Amino acid sequence: MSDASGPVPQVVIVDDHDLFRAGVRASLGPRVEVVAESGDVEGAVCVIEELEPDVVLLDVHMPGGGGEEVIRRLGASRPAVRFLALSVSDAAEDVIALIRAGARGYVTKTISGPELADAVCRVRDGDAVFSPRLAGFVLDAFAGEIPAEQVDPELDLLTPREREVLQHIARGYMYKEIAAQLGISAKTVEAHVSAVLRKLQLSSRHELTRWAVHRRLIEE
Amino acid sequence: MLQTLALIQRSAEDPQRVAALARRQERELRGWLAGGDSREQGGRLAGALESAAAEVEAAAGGTVEVVAVGDCPLDEPARAVLGAAREAMLNAAKFAGQAPVSVYAELSDERIAVFVRDRGAGFDPATVPPGRRGVRESIVGRMRRAGGSATVRALPGGGTEVEIAIDRGSRP
Repeated sequence: MSDASGPVPQVVIVDDHDLFRAGVRASLGPRVEVVAESGDVEGAVCVIEELEPDVVLLDVHMPGGGGEEVIRRLGASRPAVRFLALSVSDAAEDVIALIRAGARGYVTKTISGPELADAVCRVRDGDAVFSPRLAGFVLDAFAGEIPAEQVDPELDLLTPREREVLQHIARGYMYKEIAAQLGISAKTVEAHVSAVLRKLQLSSRHELTRWAVHRRLIEE
Repeated sequence: MLQTLALIQRSAEDPQRVAALARRQERELRGWLAGGDSREQGGRLAGALESAAAEVEAAAGGTVEVVAVGDCPLDEPARAVLGAAREAMLNAAKFAGQAPVSVYAELSDERIAVFVRDRGAGFDPATVPPGRRGVRESIVGRMRRAGGSATVRALPGGGTEVEIAIDRGSRP
């Protein structure tokens, strides 16, 4: 797990609960700088366009569309801004939809302050951040059989190693521990997770497509 | 829910109790939002593991996070796993301190595997507290009698992981 290197990341917290935003801000500590908060989609889009933070902590569910709507409204206009979903939401389809819209990971609100600060730094550095729950969702999504002629092995299948890494994340192992367990470097663990994120975003697997359609993500 | 909010107000001086109350309510609300789906009522293992985690949280405090991939009916081998997993969770919760206990379950019609890990202080197998060793033997013994297995590992980074597994492959 990479310790924060470089400047302190600037963060915007987007969540419709005041109390929760205050709690996150307090728990993050000095390793990140919270430059703004927003309680709704509209305000979030404005503040992100104006401040261009390094990382946006994004609630999945909010009045007016939630985190997915924030990412879509911003479109490609702020490519340097990275998103990390932070939610209590358990619904796999909502979380996967947010990842497919562009978030670099998903952590649940029970995460500790130092772990969250660490996750923010990793997302800022371009890494993907998977919580145990997200790892479980992904293993589920990639578990089903799909007709062989429709499989794009580059995107629709997890390699045995990727599966192994995800299983360890789901078991509560940290990247460093996974590296030790599998006899690979932490960088390699990170590379596997990033590869899975890419597949998650680009695969047209039946389950993912169904989720996306379900959420009216694909409208064209 | 309203009752819990009232309790929280009255327990404002006791952050741990507030956290526990909020946590329990979150779980109940989540179960309700999920529509009391088949996981809860249909006698499936994934839902039963969630319920067991909630009971353990209520009994021992702390946080038990369950991640389940797949599901299977709550038949005899599944019940053996459930019993062993509950015991492992309870044991883990007692030793975990503030860190959450992670439960990961891979469930299919052929095989059940459940991993329960805590981040309690690392221990030397030679100096395992006797209470803990007894629990360990009971988990291992229970699974062996059911035709499965349980393995307990001390992790280098501290903490313990119990792996519980059983094959269901030969069953119709």
